[in-house]
Amino acid sequence: MKLTRREVLAGAAAAALGGAGIYELVDRLGGGEAPMRKSVGRMGAAEQHALELGVVEHEGVEVVVPPLHHRLVTARVAAEDPRAAQRDLETALRGLEEQFDPTTPAGLGVTVAWGLPYFERVVPHQAHVHLPVDRRASVERRKHVLLDAIRFPSDPEETVLERNDVAVLLRSDIPAHVSAGAKELFQDLDVFSITSVRTGFVGGGLPKRMATAAGIRGAELIPDGAQLFLGFTSTQKAALGPRRIANFETLGYADLGPHSYFRGGTNMHVSHLFEDVEAWYLNFDFRERVDTAFTPGLDVEDNAQTVPQGPPDVAHEAQVKRTFRDTGRIGHSGAIQTSSRLQRDVIGDDGTLYKRGTAIPQRADFDTLDNPFSWSSDPVRDAMQAVPAAGVHFVVFNPTSDDFHRNRLAMDGVLPDGTRLPLPARARGQGFNSVLRTTHRQNFLVPPRAHRAFPLAEL
Amino acid sequence: MKRAGALVLLVVMCAGCASSAAGPKAAPSAKKACTPTQLAGWKKLARRVHAPVYCPTWLPDPLDGVIGSRWNNIDAVSRDRSYLESWVWQETGPGAAGGELHVNLRGYPARTRIPKCVDADTAKRTLIPCFSDPHGVVRVGDIAATVYTVNQDADQWHVLYAWRHGGSLYTISEHVAPPLNYTKTRAYLDRILRGLVLVGA
Repeated sequence: MKLTRREVLAGAAAAALGGAGIYELVDRLGGGEAPMRKSVGRMGAAEQHALELGVVEHEGVEVVVPPLHHRLVTARVAAEDPRAAQRDLETALRGLEEQFDPTTPAGLGVTVAWGLPYFERVVPHQAHVHLPVDRRASVERRKHVLLDAIRFPSDPEETVLERNDVAVLLRSDIPAHVSAGAKELFQDLDVFSITSVRTGFVGGGLPKRMATAAGIRGAELIPDGAQLFLGFTSTQKAALGPRRIANFETLGYADLGPHSYFRGGTNMHVSHLFEDVEAWYLNFDFRERVDTAFTPGLDVEDNAQTVPQGPPDVAHEAQVKRTFRDTGRIGHSGAIQTSSRLQRDVIGDDGTLYKRGTAIPQRADFDTLDNPFSWSSDPVRDAMQAVPAAGVHFVVFNPTSDDFHRNRLAMDGVLPDGTRLPLPARARGQGFNSVLRTTHRQNFLVPPRAHRAFPLAEL
Repeated sequence: MKRAGALVLLVVMCAGCASSAAGPKAAPSAKKACTPTQLAGWKKLARRVHAPVYCPTWLPDPLDGVIGSRWNNIDAVSRDRSYLESWVWQETGPGAAGGELHVNLRGYPARTRIPKCVDADTAKRTLIPCFSDPHGVVRVGDIAATVYTVNQDADQWHVLYAWRHGGSLYTISEHVAPPLNYTKTRAYLDRILRGLVLVGA
């Protein structure tokens, strides 16, 4: 039997949607230890992005336990009638919610996010009126909360700035639920044309076991039980924004427009980065790994994985500058905190008091063995390779694209007050950057749950 | 990057030797005795540093443990009598066609403290331990070697075993580079350690 190129591509994409390839090891490796959460949390709120997940205490620190398995699928809109497609997608999403409990990681969390190309091509007139405007970023000219991705000082020239219409993030403790959701939305439903499939995992002992099984160089040196390849926990409760803080409206960063259509929405940044696990563990001793991941000189227990990141531990601009002057280094978390933490008490749009030092971004990143994706519709542009590679699909929710850009610039030593610390790109003193290489970036808008399917198409 | 710099250096040092180099296969296990050719060099070194030294009866093929052989790219003794003997083999080429084997043996006579190295990766150039991140102890005979995974200078990107004997510090290390991974490097270091013979001054 001879298959057409289209059929071959469709078959390969279907396999990726189902978590085939290296990710079949998950089952053989036990699927990861089922996370124990001392509180259950709640998924499925009015916001699509805010998963209220349970917490555990690890090394004396409260840690949010994210779902173990993640898949992010990007696509172009293939449907010609967006209103019909809106109905079909919403019906499919509701069908998934009936099949898999959306309120718990044992079920399935689905977050549908839309890229600028969708708003510009499919609903341009509605978008002009209803896309929220970023007040902070609109000093010289009006800018929406959703911006095209940019390359940052530490990004290589070849970093691809993507232009997908849509991205769907699927999260669950059960890999079969993730696969079922991906197939339902991208195989059984005929409104999208897939551009990439990205798969990964967080915690449960999976990073070391999966990396070792895949033959990743340096995998043997990943600490047992580490949440991520680089050995430190990233989901300390105090390091993640509380539920509504990343909403467009909460901190007043956005003007929601005439009908507040996107109230309850947020910005989602998606990027892929390779991680040089071997260099991290063979060139950075534990002391330097702490200095690099957090703040130079931070006092932590030997071989700790979970480091407190509460408001008292937050670094400020003067401290980052002083530490750089004294050591020639900035820490990853410390530098970012100059932008990602509230610099003063803020009363949110909903009346909640958010104290100084509170985190704003809500992270949803996951480790991966994709190189750089599980599947791509453009393997040449995406530089697809068959061999597994350690990396991270970095997914984070910020109130605006500009807010993410400010945080990411701080990671490179460009501080909120405009100070540019003189660090060469990817220098060893520049936080994690010397062991990271970014391949792709894009920003998306996450509508509130009520408008998650083809937003604005009904207007 | 230090690694890139080291590789360039190795390429220069090994220029012209790649074509005649054997592949990076493990040599058959040898008896625990150094050959007369090996011994001559190690005895001379022991006399030079006024302290016992360790002669390797086994190194990964084609490295031979002979001081002054074509693979012995560093034969250095410092003013404080510490020494570095290094053997390197490198084959350039893509994938399985390329690879590198690099083993260092060091001694620090009359000193047991871990030496300090300059941190060349930050502008401040502070002093840092030359060996850090201990990962357990390997015992062979009367040697109890601590395994260090983060090392500096000529031992950068190496796994290093360090132990004390007779008031001196000794180390062996091997570069974690294709065709070896971390696990294979540890296995090679275990075998090198088992094959060491103490040579008196």
